Amino acid sequence: MNKTVLGCGGILLLLLIIFGVGGCGSYNRLVRLDQTVNEKWAQVQNVYQRRADLIPNLVATVSGAADFEKSTLMAVTQARATVGQVKVDPNKAPTNQQQVDQFQAAQDQLTGALSRLLVVVERYPELKANQNFLGLQAQLEGTENRISVERGNFNEAVKEYNTEVRSFPTVLLAGMFGFQPRPFFNAQPGADKAPEVKFDFNKPAATPAPATTPAATP
Amino acid sequence: MASANFLMATSAPIRFVLALGSLLLFGANLLHAAETIPPKPAGYFNDYAGVVSKEAALRFNEQLAQFERETSNQIIVAVWSKFPSASSLDDFAQRTYQVWQPGQKGKNNGAILFVFVDDHKMRIQTGYGLEGALPDITCDEIIRNEIAPHFKAGDYEKGFAQGIEAIIKAVRGEYKGAGKTLLEKNNKARGGFGLLGFIIFFFILMMALRVARSRGGYRYSSVGGPFFGGWSGGGWSSSSSSGGGFSGFSGGGGSSGGGGASGSW
Repeated sequence: MNKTVLGCGGILLLLLIIFGVGGCGSYNRLVRLDQTVNEKWAQVQNVYQRRADLIPNLVATVSGAADFEKSTLMAVTQARATVGQVKVDPNKAPTNQQQVDQFQAAQDQLTGALSRLLVVVERYPELKANQNFLGLQAQLEGTENRISVERGNFNEAVKEYNTEVRSFPTVLLAGMFGFQPRPFFNAQPGADKAPEVKFDFNKPAATPAPATTPAATP
Repeated sequence: MASANFLMATSAPIRFVLALGSLLLFGANLLHAAETIPPKPAGYFNDYAGVVSKEAALRFNEQLAQFERETSNQIIVAVWSKFPSASSLDDFAQRTYQVWQPGQKGKNNGAILFVFVDDHKMRIQTGYGLEGALPDITCDEIIRNEIAPHFKAGDYEKGFAQGIEAIIKAVRGEYKGAGKTLLEKNNKARGGFGLLGFIIFFFILMMALRVARSRGGYRYSSVGGPFFGGWSGGGWSSSSSSGGGFSGFSGGGGSSGGGGASGSW
């Protein structure tokens, strides 16, 4: 009698240890994935901030050009201000979709305003020859590319995290310790592509063929 | 021994599913890779389009290999005739970078100059670690001022010489080198552990053979696949030690965040 009780207790203890160890493993994995998501989110914030920082300089350079269209400049400045008002924690990825959508909407508005500005610039040869502007354009282009790369990395990290949080044995643990699924950046039609900010500066007047200007109707 | 027992204990359908799963995974990887991303390059200067002379290509290759020995930075040049992807140049460059992984692990100090001759397009893609030494503006200036004018004139060799020189000049001083390229270091290490490696390999082979013999053997192939599918295997090991040979490239695991600049001519 005594022996069987001891045996049952032993088995129970063994099971407890096994589940405990397994639980620790998945808990640690969740923590690690959660950290990765936050890290990628910070990186996304970083590159968006980089773009925002370029804008005052860009606006100053462009408005230096004689009678530059005021409405496009205004749109960029306004969009930049809106972006500044959307408060997100740069160190912790948001947990509700609405927050991400709001952030994304503001940033997309700025993206649109910037690409319109760069189309308008096409009409100002004075600007296109400006070294300062060329440098800014290269930076802006690189930043847009970085944004799409980091957003992709973030979505990748979220995918991995969400899969872990929602899959079976871990889902119990995740619920217990408050690990919630994280929202993605959703690619709106056209928004997943960086705006085309390329102009053929490398072909100055030398091209004999009529320079085909991109059909630029906003 | 324990794993062999485990394998014997698992039932046939489970094993089938496992084998199918690994096959699917492996196959999907292959398919994805075959779609657009070119395989890892053999050297530092890779002229797949044949626009520069063999001597010049070797010279550039050695120059870049030497640069890694001195500074540990991995600068890769890849020249194709046609842009192979349906996506954008930026996207292609980013994905290719993440596969080739130039730059030392932890430093991410790599860069790739992509050139597509027929499309008259090029891009310098920088790793995270070189974003400071090679900011987008500098990449843009190197493309516009050093490379594009010569390409436009049809003098590819001069364009590459100037471009490589400019990149090296911008990057030098950012990191310290180990006097050896990564591949040379790896080969040395491989030589030292050669016997041990062989013994381990032999042991695994024996295990696999035992399991295969007792169970009919089809599972063995799915285990063996990834083993032989690795990269940066021998290949260039013999040439790296002799002077004047071709210096091979082995990516260090660097990563890029999409920095750099594109241009055309």
